[in-house]
Amino acid sequence: MARYGMVIDTTKCIGCGACRLACQNQNDLLSSMPFVKFSEVETGVYPTASLQVVPSQCMHCEDAPCQAVCPTGATYTNEDGIVCIDHGRCIGCKYCMAACPYQARVVDERTGAVDKCRFCTVSALNGTEMSTCVTACPAGVRVFGDLDDPDSEVSKVLAATHATPLLGDATKSKIFYVR
Amino acid sequence: MSFEPVWGAPIAWYLFLAGLGGGAFITSAFLRWKHPEAHGMRFAGHIIAPVVVIIGLFLLMFDAEAGLHNPLRFALLLHNPCSVMTWGVVFLAAFVIIALITLLLDCLKKQVPVWLEIAGSVFAVCVGAYTGALLGVCQTFPLWNNALLPILFLVSAVSTGMSSVLLVGGLKFPKEFDSVGVLKKFHYCFPIIELVLVASLCFITSYNSVAGFESVMSLVCGNWAVLFWLGFIVVGLVAPTAVETWLLFISKPGFEETPKAHYIGAAADAGVLIGGFLLRFLIVVAALPVALV
Repeated sequence: MARYGMVIDTTKCIGCGACRLACQNQNDLLSSMPFVKFSEVETGVYPTASLQVVPSQCMHCEDAPCQAVCPTGATYTNEDGIVCIDHGRCIGCKYCMAACPYQARVVDERTGAVDKCRFCTVSALNGTEMSTCVTACPAGVRVFGDLDDPDSEVSKVLAATHATPLLGDATKSKIFYVR
Repeated sequence: MSFEPVWGAPIAWYLFLAGLGGGAFITSAFLRWKHPEAHGMRFAGHIIAPVVVIIGLFLLMFDAEAGLHNPLRFALLLHNPCSVMTWGVVFLAAFVIIALITLLLDCLKKQVPVWLEIAGSVFAVCVGAYTGALLGVCQTFPLWNNALLPILFLVSAVSTGMSSVLLVGGLKFPKEFDSVGVLKKFHYCFPIIELVLVASLCFITSYNSVAGFESVMSLVCGNWAVLFWLGFIVVGLVAPTAVETWLLFISKPGFEETPKAHYIGAAADAGVLIGGFLLRFLIVVAALPVALV
C-alpha cells in the first residue's frame, strides 16, 4: 500500500500544455475533456509584473468532497489513496462536479459518465512508467510518487520545498504546489 | 481557467417541479383542514403533486446521461446514505408513492386517511427543503453553501404549490376559489417572506467571499440582472404581492368574486410560478466557484 501524491512546481512551469496533451493522449480523451486545466495569476505591477501558470487536476483528496456526495458509490478511494471512478456505476448526475472545489471533473460526451485524472495508476503500479504528465513536462515541473516513503523523490522534494496544497488543508489534497 | 455551470435549465426545472409538487400536496392538505368544502381544488392539488414531480424526475434522468443509457444504474442511487442526493431519492420515492395513492383514493371517491395526508405533507416538506440542501452542501459555490437556501426553496415550493392550486381554482372552480379566504391570506404572505430571504441571501453571500460577491453581482447588476429584476423580483414576487394586496385589502367589496378578479388573480399566480422557476434557474446558473489560485 502506498499513498500516491505529486508536487507541482509552478515556478518552473512555462504553460506549454505538454502535460495536458500527454494526458489526453495517454488516456484517450476527447479535446472537450481535459483532466489538466490551467489558471493564470498575475502579480505585481509593471515593470515588475509576473504571470504565474498554475496547472490543476484531481487532487486525490483524502477528504474527497466528490466521494462524499456521489450517490451511487461510483467515486471511491483505492488502497493506494487514489480517488477513482467506477464508470460502470456512474449515472452522470454531475453532483461530484458541483462538489469538487478544484473543478477537476469533466463529462465524457461518449458515455455521459464523469471522468478525471487517474494518477495513471496502472503504469505507476507496474513501476514501468510514470504518469506521462510527469515525463512529458520539458521543465520538470511535476514529481510523482509515494508520500509515505521517505526515500521517494516526491517526499524529498516536498520536504525541501515546503510545497502546500492549493486550498490549504480544506480537503487534504495530495497534490502540493511550490508557488 | 474558465468556468461553465455544472447544471443548467433541466436541473432548474427539476428543482422547481419537485418543490411545486410538494407545495401542491401541502396546499391540498391545508384545504382539507381549513376549507373542507373545496373538493375541486383539493383534487387539483392531488393531481398536480405527483404529475409535476414525476415530470421533474424524468428531466433528472434525461440530464444524467450515463444513467439514461444504463437505467439499471439508477438502482445504485441508494448506495451512499451520506449523500444528500440519496436522501432526495428516498424523500421523492416516498412522496410520489403517497401522492399517487392519495390521487387513486380521490379518483375512487374514497376518503383519504388523515395520517396519509400528514405523512405526505411531511415528505413534501422534506422534498422542498432537500432541493435547497442538495445545492447547499457544495462548498465550492458560496451562493449555494449557506443555511438560507433550503428555507428559501421550501418557502418558494409552498408558494408555487399554493399558486398552482389557486390558479386552477380561479379558472375552474370559481365558487370554491371565493370561499378559500384563509388559504389566500397564507399564500399572500409567502412572496413577501421570499423577498426577505432572497435579500438576506444576496446580502450575506456578497460579504462571505470574492466568489460570493461576484455571484451576487452577476444577479443584481451583471449577466443575469434583467432576468433577476424583471423576471424574478417584479413578475415573480412584487407584482403578485401588489395584485393580491389590491384584491384582498383595497378593491371594492364584491369585486374579488367577479370573473375579472379571478383572471387578474390567475395572472398573479402565474407570475409566482414564473418566479419560482426563475429563482431555481438563477441560483443554479449564477453561482460562481471559489477561486483556486
